[in-house]
Amino acid sequence: MAIKFAGAFEVRGKPEDVYDFLTDPNKFAPLLPDFRGVSVHDAEHFTVKVNVGISYIKSVADVKMHLSESNRPRRAQYKGQGSVAGGNVSMVAAFDLAASGEGTKVAWEGEAQVFGRLTSVAGGLLEPLGKKQVQKLIDGLQAALHAASGGAL
Amino acid sequence: MSIVSGASKKWVGAAVPRKEEERLLRGLGKFADDIKLREMLYLRFVRSPYAHAKIVSIDASEAEKIPGVICTLTGAEIASQTQPFIEIAPDAGGKIRDYPLAVSKVRYQGEPVVAVVAVSPGVADDGAEAVQVEYEALDPVVDAEQALTNASILHEEAGTNKVWNGVFEYGDVEKAFREAASVIEIDRMHFHRFSSTPLENNAVLSQWDAKDERIYYWCNNSFPSFAIQFLAAHLNVHIDRIRVQTFDIGGSFGIKITSYPQMAVCALASKKTGGRPVKWVETRSEHMTSSAHGNERTFRDTRVALDENGVITAITSRHIDDCGAYPRYEPLGCVIWSQVFPGVYRFKNARIDFSQAVTNKCPVGPNRGYSRMQHLWFLERVVDICAHQLGIPADEMRLRNYIRPEEFPYTTPNGCVYDSGNYPKMLEVAKNLIGWDGWKKKQAEARKEGRMVGIGIGTTLDSGTNNFGQSQIVNPGAPFSGNSQGANCKLDIYGEVVVAVGSCPQGQGHETTAAQVVADVLNISPDLITVRTGFDTERNVHTGFSGTYASQFAVSGLSAVHGAAQKLKAEMTRLGAFVLESKPEDLEFGTGAQGPELRSKTNGKSINYWGLANIVNVNSAVLPPELYEVTLNCRYIWRAPFKVPDTKKKYGNLTMTYASQLHIAVVEIDRETLVPRILDYVAVDDCGTVINPPIVEGQVYGATAHGIGAALLENCVYDAVGNMLTSTFSDYIPITAMNMPNVKYGHIETPSPHSYSGAKGMGEGGAAPIHTISAALQDALFDKGVFIEDSFNNPDSLFRALKGEIGRAAELVKVERRVGSQA
Repeated sequence: MAIKFAGAFEVRGKPEDVYDFLTDPNKFAPLLPDFRGVSVHDAEHFTVKVNVGISYIKSVADVKMHLSESNRPRRAQYKGQGSVAGGNVSMVAAFDLAASGEGTKVAWEGEAQVFGRLTSVAGGLLEPLGKKQVQKLIDGLQAALHAASGGAL
Repeated sequence: MSIVSGASKKWVGAAVPRKEEERLLRGLGKFADDIKLREMLYLRFVRSPYAHAKIVSIDASEAEKIPGVICTLTGAEIASQTQPFIEIAPDAGGKIRDYPLAVSKVRYQGEPVVAVVAVSPGVADDGAEAVQVEYEALDPVVDAEQALTNASILHEEAGTNKVWNGVFEYGDVEKAFREAASVIEIDRMHFHRFSSTPLENNAVLSQWDAKDERIYYWCNNSFPSFAIQFLAAHLNVHIDRIRVQTFDIGGSFGIKITSYPQMAVCALASKKTGGRPVKWVETRSEHMTSSAHGNERTFRDTRVALDENGVITAITSRHIDDCGAYPRYEPLGCVIWSQVFPGVYRFKNARIDFSQAVTNKCPVGPNRGYSRMQHLWFLERVVDICAHQLGIPADEMRLRNYIRPEEFPYTTPNGCVYDSGNYPKMLEVAKNLIGWDGWKKKQAEARKEGRMVGIGIGTTLDSGTNNFGQSQIVNPGAPFSGNSQGANCKLDIYGEVVVAVGSCPQGQGHETTAAQVVADVLNISPDLITVRTGFDTERNVHTGFSGTYASQFAVSGLSAVHGAAQKLKAEMTRLGAFVLESKPEDLEFGTGAQGPELRSKTNGKSINYWGLANIVNVNSAVLPPELYEVTLNCRYIWRAPFKVPDTKKKYGNLTMTYASQLHIAVVEIDRETLVPRILDYVAVDDCGTVINPPIVEGQVYGATAHGIGAALLENCVYDAVGNMLTSTFSDYIPITAMNMPNVKYGHIETPSPHSYSGAKGMGEGGAAPIHTISAALQDALFDKGVFIEDSFNNPDSLFRALKGEIGRAAELVKVERRVGSQA
């Protein structure tokens, strides 16, 4: 089951600063919804622990993240993979940055693939829930960048 | 002393109450999960969430630390100590290496990857949760046609996803098309995946006993003689070292034939624990994702030649069967459909190009109407589509094309011999039962009001008792042919008549019908006969074909019982003649004051069964040497008179008997919700001589329910990456009494010349409701430009059809009328 998401927003600040924020696991990972902890392995790899749950199905997911593309300051792409509630999730999320006036335009897109028991038990709920969580991440990201750079455009 | 009641009563054909009823209805049935052994352990599978992925690593260390977890087992470990399962396929398909746990990659969602063995089911669950498996996802292929492109290969060792391909061609196809008055082309049709949802899921208890070097199974596999052939080779043990016992089984419908991989894991787990018994009981969602589904089949590029009267003269088509991730019982389905090659129709010219492919979905298994229902649905769709296109009423179209009653026994183009039948008569009975003319008028009135009401006919066959020689059509090297069944009939030491059979009944009433057969032979009441059903290797009444499948017990099973009873009767007669000082021909069998007995008609002497058994078993010094061979313990193996088919021509008799079914449904599609509602339903059955009318009627109802469920409610849905979206009864909706219409039942009897009793195997029912409901839906929608291209139809698919997204007749069906066509 594939959940696709995409969007764009603008923040004050140079693309380099936004890029540095996005590629710092200690700043980026806590923005993930229901974040519980992060373990950084190296500059490109970290494991993030998040709570997940749909109704009574609750679990903790360990998601291994990999900064698979890093083209400072234009593009950062994460690939992630984790297991949760009898299923697995793999995801790709990319951020394309471009200078826009005094700030930076962040175009983001991604796709999450959900595999396993979860899809058959809660298939109909996954897509809206997934999109809601992604929106939370983006909202959090915007707020954090806003705070770091002095406000959104 | 006189012989009392029933001296001339025939029990076969009587409505004898089922002997099983008392036990089963009072909750006294004994099922596999009821078996509990000392020090028994419980097994749980860790299953793949992916449809197609490499296994990067498995870490079971955390699981093994949990108190109560005894051990874990991986595919690599199993592969190091076993052989891959036997493959029936030749060539590429035969190279597939199938182990009961995934070894280096997974090929369907739900595939077992690790087994966890623990002291309780709960601890086993905890252990399974703690196992870490890292996967690397691969491109899944969930469509058989796509699989045949080999863009993503499931089994690298095979090098292709094609398991089997063969062309079945008979008659002069080209000539028939040259001379046709009409040619109709149908682009694509599709028969969907569904399961059987037995009340009882798979269950296995196994013990690998090092003390006597034997493997014991207590399980609910429904074809154990087949399973042990696979298990012995896989486990590297002599087949005689495996003992299998089955008990009451809560439904199988064929699906439980393919539980041997799980049986293997339980035995190996027991071995690893030092011989403790290990039990695995499948959950419903495991059953739905990972046991077996019925075959899915796609029909492409169908061309139909018809004469000026709408009589079909030739069919060509390309059929692609989807067997899921591992062939297992396949590719037998690639030939089994040809048992009913022309269905109930007379066409002689045909060419079917048949392929089977593996896909990243649950492996298939024989499912009620196995392989034949897909083909019969195809033929019924062809008949209805041609009828609609040519403007011929559905009933008239069938009458023009049916094999005629006077043509029986009828040899089909591929050499099968249909034993008996009268399809026009069945149609007449069914039309009378449903009130055909009345419904036609109501339909016309309803259509004027804009209502979508359709009337459909489905005529199908239930071929029973296979010639396993057909396996040589798919693989000339296959070591199977013919068919046989065993039974034993004896007088126990105290004179009790005990019958043992090698079948695994799941509700078919084998205890009752076997007792009826013996009762007729010995002229006693069925109540005086004990029947031991359920498979047990140690009873020595099985052959390599024993089990319960393929609508065969009425012919093969009961023929074996009849043969054993005749042998016993002959021995009793010899012994009785000696004891009663009479000629054998002067003896009669019956029931006297002291129970069942033999009586001399000339001197009035009699001896009851206890007396006879006593002489042989505990008072044998009175026996003269010429009677030493009398044991009153008679084993009989019945063999079907089959020959090995011509494998090059794909020609030969593949089945003993052909029961037939004719159903009519009146269906209305709600204009607001598009929910199809059955307004009236008739099921007419012909299984030859009926052995027990209520049992036959019950099986007709069961098969009808199964088919209606499959047609309207039950569908194994996968998404594009191989997630099964219908793994619980919330999404996969099995039919219940609430969804069932009132079924009007009728029957005719055309006795089979191929069985001693005139009976034909029945119970699978040819999936008649699927064909019938497809026909009715098409009748309801054809004037809206819709043709029913799929065997599963629910409100969503009907909505899409009415929107023109699927089933567009104008695009998918082409009609070429030639000069002289008067249809």
